[in-house]
Amino acid sequence: MSYLELKNVDKYYGDVHAIKGVNLTINKGEFIVFVGPSGCGKSTLLRMIAGLEEINDGDLVLDGNEITHQAPSKRDLAMVFQSYALYPHMTVEENMSFALRIKGEDQSVIDQKVAKAAETLNLTPYLKRTPKELSGGQRQRVAIGRAIVRSPKVFLFDEPLSNLDAALRGQTRVEIAELHRDLNATSIYVTHDQVEAMTLADRVVVLQGGVIEQVGTPMELYEAPANKFVAQFIGQPQMNLLSASYFSGISPEAVDVGIRPEHFTIVEAGQGAISGQVELVEALGNETLIHVCLEGAGEKLIVRQYEQPTVKVRDTVSINYDVSHLHQFDVKGEAIR
Amino acid sequence: MSTKKSKLTTSLIVRTIAAWGIALMLFFPLIFMGITAFKTELQAIAVPSLWAFEPTLENFHVVNERSDYMQFAWNSVVTSVVSTVLGLLIAAPAAYSMAFSPTKGTNGLLLWMLSTKFMPAVGALLPIYIIFQQFGLLDTKTALVIIFTMMNLPIMVWMLYTYFKDIPHEILEAARMDGASVWQEFRHVLLPLGIGGLASTGLLCLVLAWNEAFWALNLGAAEAGTLATMMVSYSSPEGLFWAKLSAASLMAIAPIVVIGWFSQKQLVQGLTFGAVK
Ligand SMILES: Nc1ncnc2c1ncn2[C@@H]1O[C@H](COP(=O)(O)OP(=O)(O)O)[C@@H](O)[C@H]1O
Ligand SMILES: [Mg+2]
Repeated sequence: MSYLELKNVDKYYGDVHAIKGVNLTINKGEFIVFVGPSGCGKSTLLRMIAGLEEINDGDLVLDGNEITHQAPSKRDLAMVFQSYALYPHMTVEENMSFALRIKGEDQSVIDQKVAKAAETLNLTPYLKRTPKELSGGQRQRVAIGRAIVRSPKVFLFDEPLSNLDAALRGQTRVEIAELHRDLNATSIYVTHDQVEAMTLADRVVVLQGGVIEQVGTPMELYEAPANKFVAQFIGQPQMNLLSASYFSGISPEAVDVGIRPEHFTIVEAGQGAISGQVELVEALGNETLIHVCLEGAGEKLIVRQYEQPTVKVRDTVSINYDVSHLHQFDVKGEAIR
Repeated sequence: MSTKKSKLTTSLIVRTIAAWGIALMLFFPLIFMGITAFKTELQAIAVPSLWAFEPTLENFHVVNERSDYMQFAWNSVVTSVVSTVLGLLIAAPAAYSMAFSPTKGTNGLLLWMLSTKFMPAVGALLPIYIIFQQFGLLDTKTALVIIFTMMNLPIMVWMLYTYFKDIPHEILEAARMDGASVWQEFRHVLLPLGIGGLASTGLLCLVLAWNEAFWALNLGAAEAGTLATMMVSYSSPEGLFWAKLSAASLMAIAPIVVIGWFSQKQLVQGLTFGAVK
């Protein structure tokens, strides 16, 4: 059931072609995450959906209505900005009720909705404060509260966690996931952080240079990346990319072969398919990352072990890989399936 | 440590003395005028100047009798207030669009507008005089309102632009997302956030219009004359009457000085184009 649909939309900033013919269909209730490196056009695409940036070409359809050139105030979408963009001259209560007051809702309805949202977000004690009397995390929650009191058609988030410190970011991420579970509202969430993307999304949209590289569930992206870019963008540490010459029995068109660090195993000398010298051992407690420099061309790879280190720096090691987890890429970087 | 401290205090003392010296120098004519207004004409022209004398209010009575102070004052109030309000109504939307939807031409446009202030006013006197004559507007308050508004518009747009630019664009966008129309966005978000800038701009332009003499003299001498023209009428034809001129001047500037005194903060902000916050 398509709820929001982008049909071949384009965006130009002068000569810069920021969004290049993007097609995307979003279903009702889905949590969609736009992810990609900085400058890839995530915010631009989100703002085009919001109506804050003009769509130069193509169509935008929401709930059966074409809204390509409709004013943002008419679209009934809510946005949570990276800077929160709270109204500094209004109290928390006034911030959260602004949209409803503009719409002319009954005061009793407004009070009830604001009270409910404030309770959900633990903001009840702060309703009479102004934004500058709040901590960063509280401001962030007010921004979310301002969105949820409206019950909009779609929630739009532009990197809402990037101004929070690491601990708060993790906590708020969980809260947003719970909120979505409870409200089941259609949401589009922009982030450059792949952990946020993987943990929050029903489907992830990977963008690069104004183009969609792949759309899929987090697991699809992880297990079957469509190309080298997605393969290396998703997963931490990155997927290892080695030249095809290390491998036998693969497609003749394969130029590069990708293997995730956990699909390598260190085996007894002479038993493995590849061998090299250990350059660095990162023992993280729950896992160990072993950086290996291969013999010959000097290519590097990382092996992930879920056990205490068994090798040390400058050891020569032999490595085996799991054949069922090879990702083969052709000369254009596209995955060979 | 101690040398550094004493150095600091010396330079502070020097600077304080210099600042007071300059302030007194700038202020001296005003003080002198204020004192002269309370002298008799004879005392006023005495050389060396008298500093001890019995103050008299006679000059004020004479000025009030000879020229209708209230009418001049009323003209001043009407022309400066109306031109300021009108100017704000035109300048605010202009500054809004330049600050929040700039195009490639915005900077050039702003500079061009300001550059019109570099031209001496007398350069435009003849055409404007003739235009106003054709429309039968000479010596009307309407003429002065129009000219004061146009005279202050570049400054108003420029000042409001710098104030509006300091307001994060995303706050206005948030209002738009919340369903606010352009007017609601202006009324509920831009106005409360920009009220300081609007007040400073309005005050400065009120003062500029109040003090304006060139256009007031040339376009509105009799019926529409402002306090500035009243002041000038004491300077020449019947010889110099220092004491009465001083009294007239004091009466002309008194209202605006009082307003200025109570709104010093806004005025300083205005004059520094919002650079001091
Ligand atoms: N207002 C603008 N004017 C000109 N170029 C812009 C503007 N906004 C964004 N861009 C360009 O469009 C591209 C995408 O930007 P953006 O959507 O902000 O990226 P992201 O949010 O993914 O980091 C970038 O190359 C950026 O320089
Ligand atoms: Mg961005």
